[in-house]
Amino acid sequence: MEEPEKLVCDGIARGYVPPEVLSISPRLRLYSSSSATEVDPITYEVIRNTLLNINLEHGQTIQKLSISPITMIVRDFQCAILTEVGDVMCLGPYLLYLGNMLALITKWILENRSDEPGIQDGDVFLCNDPYVGTSHQQDTGLTSPVFWEGELFCWVANSVHYSDVGGPVPGSFCLASEDIRQDPPCFPPMKLAEAGKLRVDVEQLFLRQSRLPSTVDMDLHAAIAGLNLARERIIKLIQRYGPEIVKAVIDEVMDAGERAVVEKLQMIPDGRWSERVYTEVSVPGDRGIYVSQINIVKEGEYLYVDNEGTSPQVGAINNTYAGLAGGVLAPLTIMLGYDLAGTSGGLYRRVKFRPVFGTITCADFPAPISTAGVYNMPMVVATATGAVAKMIACADSPLREKAIGMADVHAYGGWIFNGINQHGQFFVGMSAGMATGALPASPVRDGVDTGGLFWVPGMEASNVEENEMAWPVLTLYRRENAAGAAGAGKFRSGLGAEEAWILHGTEQMDVHVYMDESFVKNQGMMGGNPGGRAFFKVKRSTDVNQMLANGSIPQNYDELKGEEEKTFFKGPPIVLKRGDIWCTNLPNFAGFGDPLRRDPELVAKDLADGKLTVHEAQIVYGLVLATDGSVDVDGTSAYRESRYLKRLGTIAKSPLKSSS
Amino acid sequence: MGYYIGLDGGGTFTDCVAMDSDGQIRFAKAPTTTENFSDGMFDALTALAEEWGITLSDLITSTERFSLGTTVGTNLLVERKGARTGLLTTAGHGDAILMMRGSGRITGLDPELYYHPQATDKPEPLVPKNLIREVNERVDCEGEVVVPLNMQEVEDAVRSLVEDQGVEAIAVSFLWSFRRPDHELEAMRIINRIAPNVYVSCSHKVAPRMGEYERTVATVINSYVAQKTAIYFAGAAERLKEAGFNHPLLVMQVTGGILPVKAALEVPLTSLGSGPVGGLMGSAALANQLGHSNVIATDMGGTSFEVGLIVDGEPLVSDENVVSQYRYKQLQLQTTSIACGGGSVAYLAPYSRSIRVGPQSAGANPGPVCYRRGGTEPTVTDADVVLGLISADTFLGGKMPLDRDAAVRAMENLGRQVGLSAEEAAAGILKINNAKAAELIRQQTVIRGYDPRDFMLFAYGGAGPLHAFAYASELGVKGVVIPLGNGASTLSAYGSASSNLVRFFEKEQLFRYPFPLEELNGLINKLEAEAHGALTEMGRAPEDISLERFAQMRYSGQWLHSLLRKLPGGVYGQAEMGQIVDEFKATYDALYGSGAGRVSQGVELFSVRIRATAYLRRPEQAFHIKKESRIDEAARLGHRTIVWPDDIEKVSSEVFDGRYLRFGNRVTGPAVVELPHTSVAVGKGQTLSCDVLGNMVLDL
Repeated sequence: MEEPEKLVCDGIARGYVPPEVLSISPRLRLYSSSSATEVDPITYEVIRNTLLNINLEHGQTIQKLSISPITMIVRDFQCAILTEVGDVMCLGPYLLYLGNMLALITKWILENRSDEPGIQDGDVFLCNDPYVGTSHQQDTGLTSPVFWEGELFCWVANSVHYSDVGGPVPGSFCLASEDIRQDPPCFPPMKLAEAGKLRVDVEQLFLRQSRLPSTVDMDLHAAIAGLNLARERIIKLIQRYGPEIVKAVIDEVMDAGERAVVEKLQMIPDGRWSERVYTEVSVPGDRGIYVSQINIVKEGEYLYVDNEGTSPQVGAINNTYAGLAGGVLAPLTIMLGYDLAGTSGGLYRRVKFRPVFGTITCADFPAPISTAGVYNMPMVVATATGAVAKMIACADSPLREKAIGMADVHAYGGWIFNGINQHGQFFVGMSAGMATGALPASPVRDGVDTGGLFWVPGMEASNVEENEMAWPVLTLYRRENAAGAAGAGKFRSGLGAEEAWILHGTEQMDVHVYMDESFVKNQGMMGGNPGGRAFFKVKRSTDVNQMLANGSIPQNYDELKGEEEKTFFKGPPIVLKRGDIWCTNLPNFAGFGDPLRRDPELVAKDLADGKLTVHEAQIVYGLVLATDGSVDVDGTSAYRESRYLKRLGTIAKSPLKSSS
Repeated sequence: MGYYIGLDGGGTFTDCVAMDSDGQIRFAKAPTTTENFSDGMFDALTALAEEWGITLSDLITSTERFSLGTTVGTNLLVERKGARTGLLTTAGHGDAILMMRGSGRITGLDPELYYHPQATDKPEPLVPKNLIREVNERVDCEGEVVVPLNMQEVEDAVRSLVEDQGVEAIAVSFLWSFRRPDHELEAMRIINRIAPNVYVSCSHKVAPRMGEYERTVATVINSYVAQKTAIYFAGAAERLKEAGFNHPLLVMQVTGGILPVKAALEVPLTSLGSGPVGGLMGSAALANQLGHSNVIATDMGGTSFEVGLIVDGEPLVSDENVVSQYRYKQLQLQTTSIACGGGSVAYLAPYSRSIRVGPQSAGANPGPVCYRRGGTEPTVTDADVVLGLISADTFLGGKMPLDRDAAVRAMENLGRQVGLSAEEAAAGILKINNAKAAELIRQQTVIRGYDPRDFMLFAYGGAGPLHAFAYASELGVKGVVIPLGNGASTLSAYGSASSNLVRFFEKEQLFRYPFPLEELNGLINKLEAEAHGALTEMGRAPEDISLERFAQMRYSGQWLHSLLRKLPGGVYGQAEMGQIVDEFKATYDALYGSGAGRVSQGVELFSVRIRATAYLRRPEQAFHIKKESRIDEAARLGHRTIVWPDDIEKVSSEVFDGRYLRFGNRVTGPAVVELPHTSVAVGKGQTLSCDVLGNMVLDL
């Protein structure tokens, strides 16, 4: 086997890492900015606002015209405007880690396709190769150059999750794959449209792999419609204001973003922050434990990020460099770039990656990647969130308040299933119900209950009725979790949600991916409690149908009679049958600060709202209630003090008096 | 002499319009009285009577028809002053309204905030958790009963809500009730029996659409505002009756029609926010008389800019709305708004040495710097004052002298930081604001496949007529109409006076192509019979009733996209069905690119909608016949130096008093026409003329 060090980051043997200066064929003429162009502050704002709106409209078009719930509801897609050399100028409020991937694909095309077959006006390139720049094969990117008078002016691009792109498993998440050749096929960039004309041969090549060609086709055309719209509008903008002015605004938007980030970096002390997340199982049957680690060094006005400490690549739980970079940039976009409205290009310039290759979070060819969308990517984002949040929590105010704890180590408590629905059609489903998300705790406030997932800002959960129309299921209940100990803290996490289901209108259904974590992975922040465990539980041969016939809808999975199926995280496919009940949970996320420092009135409020039991209020938060049920303030202080003393050993003095 | 009165109770002013049997029109307004609405209403009516030179009593007793639009429901909701409302829902689904599909934190907010979680939060709950009760009952997606309704649980839940919690209203929202309403109806009967004073509404009636979250929100809001809305209408009706009005009071609906109070109160939600819809209906009525079939109706006020479209003479209809971050299902005339108006604040963009405008607004308090109410941040209105588009002395007819010097100082201060003079900064603010307005219009038209160049633009609201000269030119529309000229600020009232009785009858039911024709024809027949019956019941003669059919269609699986298609009459066979589907596909491809719709993907028709209209007879609006080419001297107020934003050049511009302009008069720009509640700017090279109906028409 070759030494990893000898491999080049060419997007073939190892994940593509673009050089500072791209090697582009002289045949391709680039429209480069002239530094002499001055834009008045008013025109600047008019054009900036229009560019942001063009990108939003691009996203709304995809959302409207696509038909997979994962795209139209969960917003598992992204769209961007990029400079002529493929740097992201702005991205949309969708899945944030996809933004940088569009840059990687575009840069790879500039380096590898500008000579042969050449890049022309009206081209659309399609790429789903994770080694070039996608998170996994399902997240297929389209990127299209915008030309002005024969010169490449900028790019518009999108990445959409396509429901099935082939491979041995419906939905294309191939958990048992140990080599990418057991995964769905990878297509390095090829022309889906050439000089404005759709290439039906390439379209068919892509669709031919899918179990759902019609669905994928509709989504693909939604993505093309979005690109066309964005390209046409940018051309109109250039016609109106002239290419020099529009180009100068694009450059200045990136420079302004960079200045904003530098100013924030100056509020952070130099230092190194790390986070480590453990995950289990690399292929069904394996019981190994693996590490994802992110380290951030802040030095002067730059951030240097590496994944040293991460396990060597293994089994089916890998992502490429594209996933690593995207997963780190996502929480940075929210915690350092919150005021940039998605114009993240300037932020990206200040982050330098020093990846350790051959690891599960920066794997080399031929590691399989198809499961990354549900396993690795949320894990990388969570690991990075932990490291970024610790760094931000050390910053001066007001930046310090922007820290957000870890969320969602495994995608939305999601599960992927297929079968024949009640209308007699084959379907592949990805449950979006748990996309209710939760906002984790912060240094100055509680998270938000079912408050969405911050790294997919526009995400939404489908209605129960929409699920039941599309799939042969009945949702017995969908409710917010209790607060309890999971995610407790001086500021507690927002609450996640739980859902219980039975089959309805079919006899059986296959589940290929389900989230049943063996242990909790959301570490708390600064003394806050960790979050909960995402789970997927199945009980066989229950009395649920009997209960329904008797007029009662079961409201508690644990109280149902039946045989509990022993499930393993990333275990083999499960076949659900009539009479089975299954339950999916998106846990509460990270808490912030010591729960014993929580305002007793806030504890009492959760108690009154039924989100905590009296026992939990006492054990987790050290709350003491008076006989009339109100908060016993003195009793609570005394009890909390005794708890501190107990933690430290009775010799130590009470920390309550000496700390703030 | 008989009068036809329209009245609009807005947040600040109550406006009214009356037309007499000869088709003459008069307008009046008075401050809204929030404590007791009818006081302000009668102040406005008194002012209206004065306009006609008659007594209030004469006006009311000779009134043939009285229709009322209002923002009362919206205010109740925004200020959380509605009824204490409980929610009864399916076991296991009580949290749906609290979870808000995970997007309640950002719904309806400016997209720039999406990236800033710490600046967003969920709204105050409409129904707190302790007022939500779950009962055993379940229906599936085919409308089959899985678990029958447990009536004892309903009774227990209602007793607990009413007796222990003191709720005044209840919303009943069960899963799939729009497919099978039996359980909701049974629950309502139980509530009516054991708590007859509690207001009840059911989701299958309020919003019979798929999607339990949006349907539940609609039902809860409906229950939340119902009683106070009823009291408000009853109060108005009572006062009118005492004053001698002998006809049923009619209420403006968001569906674009009016209904008698009794019918309007069947679903009070449809009276919520009828003010903006009144403006759109007023535009539609005028456009119809002027022969403009396509209109972009724009309303720019202090804080927001609202756009509605009229296509082929009909305002577009949407089926969703957002209030206070709650999204709900509701059939209503489509209007879209952004934060962009006279009060929008301009500030220095950090890091980029440029100026941004909004979305923050100075509102009415402290308001723009020039209002002398303590505002320090320059706004769009301040920019208007600095440039001279608004005169500090004649604002609101001279009733509110403005502090121009303060506005100039604020503008200098902002401009200095980016190297601009006060005037350059002010001109820039207008350009940015106008570009935002134009962008919204562009999105609303082009994205639906319409070309703005085929439209007339109507501009109203306090700031619309002043800025339309710029945002309309940006789009290349055919021309601009300042509806009713002097009456532009009372357009909503005019809209309710000129509307007809309209009711929608709708059923969401999924038909996959090829549609089962017998079932589809049967559903259409049933809805049409229901529609006809309802209007006949209101005493309308069959020859006055018109029924129109619509269907919502999409490609299979598109939950977020549909095209509303108008359907032909008659019974459908294979040929008609083929034609309906072909037209859908052709429209889809025209909108989203040839081949965008995939033949292999099935087509679905998922809702049938009947619009029933009963045309009300009213006098034709009188035309001004005598053409005056000479402008009355009283209209000429002299000249003032105005800095026009495009070239930032000081130009001596003539100022007119719009009240004295007559049919046939033409004003050539640069000029400003001042009206008591707004001003119309006429840019260089543009001309303004007065038409036969009293509208002002700006040629770009």
